[in-house]
Amino acid sequence: MSAIDKLLAEPGAGFEAEDDSEAAFEYCMQHGWSDGLPVVLPTTERVERMLAYCDRPWDQPVAMLAPRFGAATPLRLAANAVMAGCRPEYFPLVMLAIEAMAEEPFNLYGIQATTHPCAPLVIVNGPGAKELGMNSGHSALGAGNRANATIGRAVRLSLVNIGGAIPGLGDMSTYGDPTKFTYCAAENEAGNPWQPLHVERGFPPQATTVTVVAAEPPHNVNDHESYTAVGLLTTMAGTIASTGQNNTYYASEPVVLLSPEHAATIGGDGYSKQAVKDYLFAHARVPMHKFSKENIERRFRMKLAHRYGNADPDTLVSMVERAEDFIVVVIGGAGKHSAYIPTFGNTHAVTRALKHADGTLVESIESMRGT
Amino acid sequence: MATLRKRGLRTAVICTEPFLKLAQAQAKTFGVPDLPIIMIPHPLGGISVEQVEGRAHVAWPQLEKLLTEMLK
Repeated sequence: MSAIDKLLAEPGAGFEAEDDSEAAFEYCMQHGWSDGLPVVLPTTERVERMLAYCDRPWDQPVAMLAPRFGAATPLRLAANAVMAGCRPEYFPLVMLAIEAMAEEPFNLYGIQATTHPCAPLVIVNGPGAKELGMNSGHSALGAGNRANATIGRAVRLSLVNIGGAIPGLGDMSTYGDPTKFTYCAAENEAGNPWQPLHVERGFPPQATTVTVVAAEPPHNVNDHESYTAVGLLTTMAGTIASTGQNNTYYASEPVVLLSPEHAATIGGDGYSKQAVKDYLFAHARVPMHKFSKENIERRFRMKLAHRYGNADPDTLVSMVERAEDFIVVVIGGAGKHSAYIPTFGNTHAVTRALKHADGTLVESIESMRGT
Repeated sequence: MATLRKRGLRTAVICTEPFLKLAQAQAKTFGVPDLPIIMIPHPLGGISVEQVEGRAHVAWPQLEKLLTEMLK
């Protein structure tokens, strides 16, 4: 008996089903094991191929996923990765993203069960992104690239099937959003005039990392006219400055996604990444009187009394608590469109590096493949 | 809340109807399936102070009943 057969011999670990695409989809839908789109049936052989890239014990949880606090074992995660359509070599990044989301600062319980529409945005950095053929260019956050699409989907299916984020039961999002299907891209490091995200966050350039952010969908920032850093940042600051986002009320980390062309203009004007954050902190502000009377009384005067208890109604309210709270990332291809991505608010982004079981950095994902 | 209950304190959760199933599932997950749940009308956010007081009036008899049972 092989290792996987032994695990599947446990009661409830496996099930018998016809390996026919239509029948498999029907079967999974009947059991609530899908996001509503067709899934690949996680047969023993397919799951085993996925697990070839896992050097940890297949039945030992790498995380407990809220709100059900289901045990995310490699075996279960691999089944979800198969269902999502992952190639086996994508699996280490699926596991890594799950581990990152289980870290306390991310607040997975809040993110899963909230009425807010957030979903985990997975940003991949380092050589692994290129090795897997991930898209960091045109439409990187859109459809078309298998790694982007299925890594993000595997994460979401795991949150539903293991974590219990079932709409109306464990996922109380008022209206949901399309990023709850998948939300994953690589950073366009070649188009980034500054340090890539993972290096800024303390990892060596040769590390392959995932950064998970509990994010809303992107809000586009169109600027085809500005050709200076100040011009572009003025437009970005205007988009960021809005009432009704969680970021105003919590210590949070919203994302400023710059297209390579916008980033090149800003960097070319001598702005460092920190200078971008400082500018946005100073200028992305809304006068307090633009908020509703009730929000001023209840949020600013009471819950945020330490900052705004006695503040003048004309006080300019910042969208983040500190300049460094902005996460600046470069994603996309040609074009003059950037994006502002607000977040759940009560959450912090988590970055994790891909490592072998012995703790050394993974230099190539292919080197993880066992026999 | 579940942790406090496990430590022996009498606790209850105040909940509105759309969140009842989540509350019950969570109570079960955290090992306190009998955690009392006090129901108030939905919503709790976006209502006036008077409406909040109305919710308190709905909650109070349920709390009173729980306390009475506790003292029996």
